[in-house]
Amino acid sequence: MASAILLDLTNTLLMGLLLGGLYALIALGLSLVFGVMKMINVAHGDLILFGTYFAYAAMTLLGIDPILSLIIGVPVLFAIGFGIQRYLMSRAFGRSMEAPLLIAFGISLMLQNLQQILWTPMSKGLTTSYALDSFELGGIHVPLAYLLDFAAAVVVMVFLSQFLGRTYLGKAITGAAQDKTAAQLMGINTGRVYAFAFAVSMATAAFAGVFLGLTFPFTPQSGISFLIIAFGVVIVGGLGSMVGTFLGGMVLGVAQTLGGFFLGPTSQMLVVYFLVLLVLAVRPQGLFGR
Amino acid sequence: MIKRLASFTVAIVFLAALPKLGLPQEWILYALLFFVYLAMANMWNLLCGYSGLISLCQPAFVGIAGYTLVILVWIGVPFHVAIAAGGIIAGLFAVVISIPVFRLRGIYFAIGTLVVPEALRILFLLWRPVGGKLHGGGAGYMLRGMGAVSVGHYYWIACAVGIGSFFLIRLILRSKLGLGLAAIRDNDRSAASSGLNVFRLKLYSFVIAGFVTGIAGAVFYLYQGYVEPGGAFSIQWTMIPILATVIGGIGTEAGPIIGTVVVVFLDFLLARYAGFSMLIQGAILVGIMLLAPQGIVEIGRQVRDYRFGSK
Repeated sequence: MASAILLDLTNTLLMGLLLGGLYALIALGLSLVFGVMKMINVAHGDLILFGTYFAYAAMTLLGIDPILSLIIGVPVLFAIGFGIQRYLMSRAFGRSMEAPLLIAFGISLMLQNLQQILWTPMSKGLTTSYALDSFELGGIHVPLAYLLDFAAAVVVMVFLSQFLGRTYLGKAITGAAQDKTAAQLMGINTGRVYAFAFAVSMATAAFAGVFLGLTFPFTPQSGISFLIIAFGVVIVGGLGSMVGTFLGGMVLGVAQTLGGFFLGPTSQMLVVYFLVLLVLAVRPQGLFGR
Repeated sequence: MIKRLASFTVAIVFLAALPKLGLPQEWILYALLFFVYLAMANMWNLLCGYSGLISLCQPAFVGIAGYTLVILVWIGVPFHVAIAAGGIIAGLFAVVISIPVFRLRGIYFAIGTLVVPEALRILFLLWRPVGGKLHGGGAGYMLRGMGAVSVGHYYWIACAVGIGSFFLIRLILRSKLGLGLAAIRDNDRSAASSGLNVFRLKLYSFVIAGFVTGIAGAVFYLYQGYVEPGGAFSIQWTMIPILATVIGGIGTEAGPIIGTVVVVFLDFLLARYAGFSMLIQGAILVGIMLLAPQGIVEIGRQVRDYRFGSK
C-alpha cells in the first residue's frame, strides 16, 4: 500500500519534471523579450495559443502532423513577431512605461476574440495518434507527450543558447540587451535587433504552442493561463539565465502535478498561482535570482 | 466658481431625473452602465494615471464585491448594506493582495496583479459559499428577492456612485494624498527623499481604488442579478476601465468621463456584433496608443491650440 503510494508519488514527480520542460519552453520567449527590451509582453500567452491553433488548423484542415506543421508555423510566427515589434511596439518605446504594455494588452484581446470567432469557445486538443500513448519504466507510466515536451524544450534551449552565443545576430541581441547605447555605438541597428529578438521569441512560442496542444486541451481563453505560467517561471527562476528559466519551469511543473495529486485536478492550477504569489511576497527576485 | 457650481448642479439634477423623463428603459440601462464604468475608469485612472500602478486585478475587486453582495442578500442583509459591504471587502482584499504585489515595480506589478483574478476565478469555481441547491449546484448565484425594486432605483444608486467617484478623484487630487502622488509620479526618488512615504501613498490609492471598484462592481451585479465566476473575474473588468481611460486621456480628470461615454456608445453600437466586440475594442486600444496616446482630451487641446494659436 505504502509502496504503491510512493510509486504514484514518484510518477507524479517525474511527470512534473517533464512538464517543467514545457513550462520553461513557454517562458523562454517571454524571458528573451524582457531581457532585451525590458518589456513584458502580455500577449505572449495568446501568441503561443495562436501557434497552437495554427497547428490545429494544419492538422484538421490539411491533415499535417502538428510537429511537422512547425516547418510552416515557426516562420509564420517569426514574421508576426517581427511585424508586431517593428510596426507596433517600436513606436511606443520610450514614450511611457504603460504604452507597450497596453498595446500588447490590446493585441491579446484581439487574438482572444479572433480565436473565439474562428474556432468556437469549445475546448480543443491536438489529438494525434501518439498524443495519448504512454510507456512504462519500472512500474512508472510516462505519457509520450510529456517526454516529447521535455525533449523539445531541451532542443529549443540548446539551439537558442547557441544562436545567442555564436551567430552575429545573436551576439547583437545579447549586446543590445546588455547596453543599448554601447551596442548602437558599435554600429548595431537596435531597432532591427529588437524586431529580430521579438521574432525569435515568437519562434519559440510556436514550439511551445504545439507541444502545449499535444499535452493539454485548450480554449480561446487559455492564453492567459499560459502567460501566468510563463511569468511564474520567470519569477521563480529569476531573470536572465537560461538555467534559471529551466529550473523555474521544473518548480512550477512539479508544483502543478503535486497539487493535482493531493488536491485533485481542478485545483492544480490554483497551486501554481499561489506559488507565484508566494514567491512574489517572499522572494521577488526569484528563487534562483541573485 | 458660482457658475461652475450651478452647471454641476444642473447636470446632476438632470442626470438624477433621467428615469422620470419617460425615456425607453434601454436608455436608462445604458446610463446605468455609464456610471458603473465611469466609477471603474476613474479608479483605474487614479491607479495608472496618478499613482503609476498598472493594475490588472480590477476583476478581483468586481468579482469579490459581486459575490459579497449576492451572498449577503441571500442571508437576508438589505442590499444597500450589501453594496457597501462589497466595497469594504474589496478594499480589504486590496490590503491583503498588496503584500505580494507591492513588492513589484512597474511592469512586474502589472503581471503580478494579473495572477490574482485568475486564481480567484478557480477558487470561486470550487467554493460553494451558500448551499448547493441555490442554482443547480453550480458556482453561479442568483440575487434573491429583488423583484420589487425598480430599474430607476438601481439607476440612482449607480448615478450616485459614478458622480461620487468623480468628486472623490477631485478631492484626492487636491488633498495631500494627491499632491504626494503627483510628486511620486514626477520623480519618486526626490519624493521619497523629501520624506514622502511612497509605499503608503500608493497603498492608499490602491485600497481606495479597490473599494470604489468594488462598489461599482456590486452595483453592476445588483443590476445583472446573477453572478458566476467566469463573468465576475473576467478580463473585461480590466479592459473596460483601461479602454475608457486611454480613449479619454490617462492622467486627466475629464479623460475617464469622455472615454466612458465612448465605451458605452461602443457597447451600444456593438451590441449586435457581440462576438466581435473584443476584437474591435482591442484594435481601438492599439490604434489610440499608436496614434493619439494622450487620448481625446489631448486631441481637443491641440485642436484648440491650433485654432486660437498657442503660446
